[in-house]
Amino acid sequence: MSGTITRVTPRVFNVTAAPDFVVRWRRVALLVVVAAVVGGCSGGPAAHEPVTLVFKHAKILGPADPVPGLLREFERRHPGVRVQAESLSWNSDDQHQFFVINLEGRGAAFDVMMLDVVWVAEFARAGWLLDLSPWVTPAELAPHFPSTIEPATWSGGVWAMPWLMNVGILYYRTDLLARHGLQPPKTWEELVDQVERIRGVEHDPRLDGVLWQGRQYEGLTVNALEAIWANGARVFGADGAIFPEEERAAGGLALLRALIVSGVSPSWVTAADEELSRRHFGDGRAIFLRNWPYAMDLFQATGSSVRGRVGIAPLPGRVGGAASAASSGGAHLGVNRRTRHPELAVDLVRFMAGAEAQKVMALGGALNPTRMALYRDPDVVRVHPDFPAIHDLMLHARPRPVTPAYLMVSSTLQPEFSAALVGVKSPRQAIEHARVRLKYLLEGLR
Amino acid sequence: MLAPALIALAVLAAWPGLWVLWLSLQRRIPVFGIERFVGPSNYAFLATDPRFWNALKVTLIFTFASVGLELLLGVAVALALQGQQRGRRVAVALLLLPWALPSVVTGRMFEWLYHPSAGLLNFLLGGNAINWLGEPALALPALIAADIWRTMPFVALLCYARVLTIAPDIYEAAHVDGAGTVATVRDITLPLLRRVLLIALLFRTLDALRAFDLMFVLTGGGPANTTETLTVYAYRSLFQTLQLGFGAAIGVVVFVLVMLVAWAYLRAMARGEEATA
Repeated sequence: MSGTITRVTPRVFNVTAAPDFVVRWRRVALLVVVAAVVGGCSGGPAAHEPVTLVFKHAKILGPADPVPGLLREFERRHPGVRVQAESLSWNSDDQHQFFVINLEGRGAAFDVMMLDVVWVAEFARAGWLLDLSPWVTPAELAPHFPSTIEPATWSGGVWAMPWLMNVGILYYRTDLLARHGLQPPKTWEELVDQVERIRGVEHDPRLDGVLWQGRQYEGLTVNALEAIWANGARVFGADGAIFPEEERAAGGLALLRALIVSGVSPSWVTAADEELSRRHFGDGRAIFLRNWPYAMDLFQATGSSVRGRVGIAPLPGRVGGAASAASSGGAHLGVNRRTRHPELAVDLVRFMAGAEAQKVMALGGALNPTRMALYRDPDVVRVHPDFPAIHDLMLHARPRPVTPAYLMVSSTLQPEFSAALVGVKSPRQAIEHARVRLKYLLEGLR
Repeated sequence: MLAPALIALAVLAAWPGLWVLWLSLQRRIPVFGIERFVGPSNYAFLATDPRFWNALKVTLIFTFASVGLELLLGVAVALALQGQQRGRRVAVALLLLPWALPSVVTGRMFEWLYHPSAGLLNFLLGGNAINWLGEPALALPALIAADIWRTMPFVALLCYARVLTIAPDIYEAAHVDGAGTVATVRDITLPLLRRVLLIALLFRTLDALRAFDLMFVLTGGGPANTTETLTVYAYRSLFQTLQLGFGAAIGVVVFVLVMLVAWAYLRAMARGEEATA
């Protein structure tokens, strides 16, 4: 550990933003550097001076935000350290724009940041994140779900620690399936059969089959990738080939198009995001819904018209395709490479991503931890009875392509996927056009 | 009067314009540490980029349709206000409301109006789940309608203000000469509205060519890019995917388009001045 401190400390005092600090506290600072080098891990350069860490995170929605309580606990354990939490808009585009502008502008106005999992490789490639590997060993990451570790450890570093996790889930109406003697469908083909059977008997024109997210935005990328994965195809092969299983990828999009054409999904799924589809299902107007875990608490809330009538299952696979593949999502915690307090910032990340803090987060909010053991923790399971089931779904979840060009890739795929869903292009054309554009784009980055 | 206008233009338009132009001649992707001069290659790519041509087409359709209808409806509303005997003040206040709303609020409101299953519009149309924002043929018209609702009042109020300054004796004279309502509007009101309409046309066209917020909030450019305007494409390239040189090239195209239109209108207005002088 002491080796890493000698490597890091010079930068701590050489950032341009700190000249007055250096002048005013030169003696103290020197003492601390000496102490740090000689004494090893001493808890950061400012153990005796008041230090403020700024933690930028998206607003945690829900009845009780557990973050402030956790930060006070961190402060209690680190006397003289204050953590100032600054919340960002909940809109992911806005957050990304904020970080990009500030990090590219070489600002050090914040130390720890909450990152959408798909930005980790991008920010690491740009040199905006501190490599945590001197502090965080592979063993420390091992208790987190595998699909959160892959983005965190892109290209051999440790760029962030997993904090919150999401996974694509199939929600279904337990009452409707039970009335018709059905089990949750294992494949999409089975799901379509079930929808036709149930709707044939119920005679309710207002009852839709399956809802998902097809609006041209990140959610469409996720839903289309899940359909493509379920059909045994990928966006990138191991050698970097684009859509190596082209036919199967087109087959994945063809399934989504067929759901709309046959009326199993209402045509407006092409304009639907998470909330639009969640509300419709929550009003009791659909048999199935693909969404993230957050929806469950809302379905089970007092006054919900589907309370006690919603079950969860893995996303369906395809007949003759791969095992079902749900996409993972979520947030990681990273450290600004220009932080003035790397030791403390890393401590804060490790504390917030640690078992204790994640348990508090899981108990207090509607958010899902990334640590596998918590899904079997009796205290947590008492509050979230569906956690053991979600555990299995998360274990088999797949990350979206881990690449620093992810946003470019996704924004190239979205219009092509959308064109296939609304029938402007055939699925095969859409995949072919996407492949050509991605190839051009990625070649330009070399 | 030429010098101050030129200085203002130079400071406000030319300098940032030149900077964006310089950026557009580079390949600049900060995440990948790419920063090099590439000459006109971004423009060469745009010339062959179907997504760009589509965005240009969407921008032009949006501009012509929304500005055209806004002017038509704006004049109609101004004339209706003129003919109205009572409640003019209330009508003007109500007219101002859509114009005064922040555009994000307008966006959210239309999101609710166009909601496929719980939206007011589909409810009024008998409960059919019309897919306003997710159907390629409907999404752009739906956005145009929202834009008209939002900015028609601007045109209406400009025209109404001009109409108020028309001396009543002109109308009386026309009436005495036996001119009907149609002839009065065609031969007196509309010619007198010409200049103010040109100004409204200029402002509205320049705004519409840079249309961004409605599509960004309501459709994200979809479905299948049928509502992706040039500025949405530029935003995605600049801020979402950080292709700064390429995004700047799209920005330059928008800039040139806006400048051309402004120049054409200003010429038309100058000719109008000469004609009346």
